[in-house]
Amino acid sequence: MNRISLKVTGAQGQGVNSVGEMLARGLKDAGYCVFGYREYMSLIKGGHSSYQLDISDAHIGSSEQMVNILVCFNHHGLERNIRDVKQGGIVLHQTPDWEWNTEDARWLQEHQVTVVSLPTEQVLHELKAPPILGNTFLTAVVWSFLQQDCGVLESLLRGRFGRKGERVLQMNIDCLQKACAYVASLEKAPFVTLPATNVRWSGHMLLTGSQAMGFGIIHAGCRVYAGYPMTPSSPLLSFLADMQNRTRMVIKQAEDEITAVQMASGAMHMGARAMTATSGGGFDLMTETLSMNGIIENPIVIGLAMRPGPGTGLPTWTAQGDLLLAVHSGHGEFPRCVLSVSDAQDAFDLMPQAFNLAEQYQMPVIVLFDKHIAEALYTQEFYDQEHTVIERHLPDTAQLQELQGADRYAVSSASGGVSPRWLPGTQAATYCAQSDEHSGDGSSEEGAQNASAQMDKRMHKLEALAAQLPEPELFTVHRGQISEVRNAVHPEVLFLGWGSTKGAVLDALLELTSDNSSLIAGYLHYTYLWPLKTDRFSLLSQKARQTILIEGNKQGQLGMLLRQQCGIDIPKKILKYDGRPFCTDELHELLSQFISPTSG
Amino acid sequence: MKSYSCGNTCTWCDGCGNYGIWAAIKRSLVELGIPPHGVFLCYDVGCHGNMSDKLSGYRFHGLHGRVIPFAAGAKLANPRIPIIAHGGDGACFSEGVGHLVHAIRSNYTMVFILHNNANYGLTTGQASALTWQGQPMNSAPNGMPEATLPSMDFVFSLQPTFVARGFSGDIPQMVSILKAAIQHRGFAFVDMLQACPTYNTFATHEWLLERVYDVAADGHDPSDFVRARAIAVDTSERISTGILYQNTAVPGFYERLKSREGIQTFPVEEVQKYDVREYMQELV
Repeated sequence: MNRISLKVTGAQGQGVNSVGEMLARGLKDAGYCVFGYREYMSLIKGGHSSYQLDISDAHIGSSEQMVNILVCFNHHGLERNIRDVKQGGIVLHQTPDWEWNTEDARWLQEHQVTVVSLPTEQVLHELKAPPILGNTFLTAVVWSFLQQDCGVLESLLRGRFGRKGERVLQMNIDCLQKACAYVASLEKAPFVTLPATNVRWSGHMLLTGSQAMGFGIIHAGCRVYAGYPMTPSSPLLSFLADMQNRTRMVIKQAEDEITAVQMASGAMHMGARAMTATSGGGFDLMTETLSMNGIIENPIVIGLAMRPGPGTGLPTWTAQGDLLLAVHSGHGEFPRCVLSVSDAQDAFDLMPQAFNLAEQYQMPVIVLFDKHIAEALYTQEFYDQEHTVIERHLPDTAQLQELQGADRYAVSSASGGVSPRWLPGTQAATYCAQSDEHSGDGSSEEGAQNASAQMDKRMHKLEALAAQLPEPELFTVHRGQISEVRNAVHPEVLFLGWGSTKGAVLDALLELTSDNSSLIAGYLHYTYLWPLKTDRFSLLSQKARQTILIEGNKQGQLGMLLRQQCGIDIPKKILKYDGRPFCTDELHELLSQFISPTSG
Repeated sequence: MKSYSCGNTCTWCDGCGNYGIWAAIKRSLVELGIPPHGVFLCYDVGCHGNMSDKLSGYRFHGLHGRVIPFAAGAKLANPRIPIIAHGGDGACFSEGVGHLVHAIRSNYTMVFILHNNANYGLTTGQASALTWQGQPMNSAPNGMPEATLPSMDFVFSLQPTFVARGFSGDIPQMVSILKAAIQHRGFAFVDMLQACPTYNTFATHEWLLERVYDVAADGHDPSDFVRARAIAVDTSERISTGILYQNTAVPGFYERLKSREGIQTFPVEEVQKYDVREYMQELV
């Protein structure tokens, strides 16, 4: 695998995203797998933000900490980000008369970094073009340094600006030509050689995790979505809202998170598929309703987009700090299912599953994701829609006629605690969805025997669910390849993680095992986090020379859950809780400490 | 009425206003020809919530203060089914007051019955926001220091489309109010003044009975917003009951959704696998 990384930095609102997106689109079309990562602050204008693209001929699902090319819209990037540039890298900037301090100048020289000061202002002046066109100039300069065909970028610009009128389009084309001419005029242009293209990527989609989840939600037949704005769940709300006139979904921006989850619960109870998503603080507000859905055995799907807490925390950054919240939140004891998205593939795949599980087991399903997934840009193949099955587990007309009200929460039901659920409005016996402890038809019932029996009934569903859920997925990595799961092979070093960590861990392991051909490394990835399956983990961790937990939180929450459920402690941990996702090169270094022969 | 009866015994105190409201709800549904499987009755938590298993029909009994959004969500999913949500003055004007504000603003087509006994009955008689200022109550031996919340003025300030006031001692009038409320296009706010013989020693059944009057008999025009607000707010001598205000020209929330224009089905009928290929194509 060959990868190149490029980071564009600037003030928020300056065009950083625009340049990042244009380059991503162009490079993907040219035949590269592109992974995009945005960093920004919780404000609208100003601030310091960045858009990083990692580019490869092979599949990549993560960013590097150190980049080959740094593009700085303003001097803040020059002050803050030059130490992010790799040995022999390039810095492009457009700050006139910029002078490095002695220390930075020495650093740049020692690391053989080439600095190019771009004549953006002068070019815009010559073209009488507004400052926004600087984005196109910058994009085109980077494009040329990457030795890409200017014609490809031109057609991209035509697609992007064609609708905005001939004048706007022409100015963009002029900027492009100026940029190409400028690069050609340089005596020693710092060209960067990208790996060979692979045509398969050009047919892929370029989309964010939020869009991927949105597609999954639409595909799953969700017809009502209620939400309240909170980063990083807001892009999902925006996406579904923008799609509503085509999908014909009912989208409701509620007055608060309690409303959002109650509305979604009401809609789901009535028989639509409905959902809400929020972040930690909003989820806290939803937890009483979560518990309510537990006792009325109402299916509900709640997306929990993690960002660092506690409190308002780091609103625009990422974390995996809400696993225990998802598993333990809500008063009383009730069954639930917790799933976790790790990339743009399962962001889609897990949504129909979440709804199916919610309806099959009549329980809340929480889908964890995080800021990194919500806003990362993935190169993603088209989703397989053929194999999706919508499973509602509702009685047919003949069965409806047989039902008594008391069947709704009947304890006698032999089917793993799952009693028949039918929808209000259907011509059948009626019942009460009763949040007080209740008898079969939902009548309030405070008897001791009934209380235990109903609790047993509800919790019994967890056993059936656990039996249905798969064990965590094992990726065996050897000689730079991910091999099929072979139970016979026991990785000598076992890494363990969940969520968005997967992309960076796998990318790092591919590199590590290329460097070390004798190593067989395993990455055990948890997608289904509650009820927690521990058999494969127990077996593999017993066989492995060492087991290392990798999580984006302070306490190693998956490790805590595993110890709670199967008694195995994982003392070796790589934990990160600074708001930043794991990066490949960072993990490469950290993981290699565990696999070097001396660390045995 | 029989179709709505249920085997469970009522657990309200003797003389509780809920008996009358309970009877009026069943009668209004029967008179409108709505069978038990064709209605969704949603209950908040409080003494009124104990009605949830004292009658037939599809019912929901949820959390304190949160009945309105659950009911509204149910309505969005299946607008075909009439929805009657119930909440007390504690739930509606303290814990969940934000939901009331936005339900009126959104004009969800549903009935909301405020079981207004001016105290928290089920938690044994604490003051609500509608308890008279200074009235000694459980946990407030000196009376609440705050002013009583002017509930009707508040509701009218939100530009409601239907406001009525009933009295738990007058079943025929409650039935006529509820029938109109169920048929209303939009959010029907029905303030049911009800006796709480155990904890409300100030606005008793007798006290209310002496003061209530029927606005229809008084020749009130329910389309007159200004007059309706005035007679709703001023309860100093007499208490107006009946349909105080109704505006049928304002579409309900669902009707305003551009995304649903021209569609004959409802979300509950649309759950199926959706093909997203066309959308995926746009992201290549």
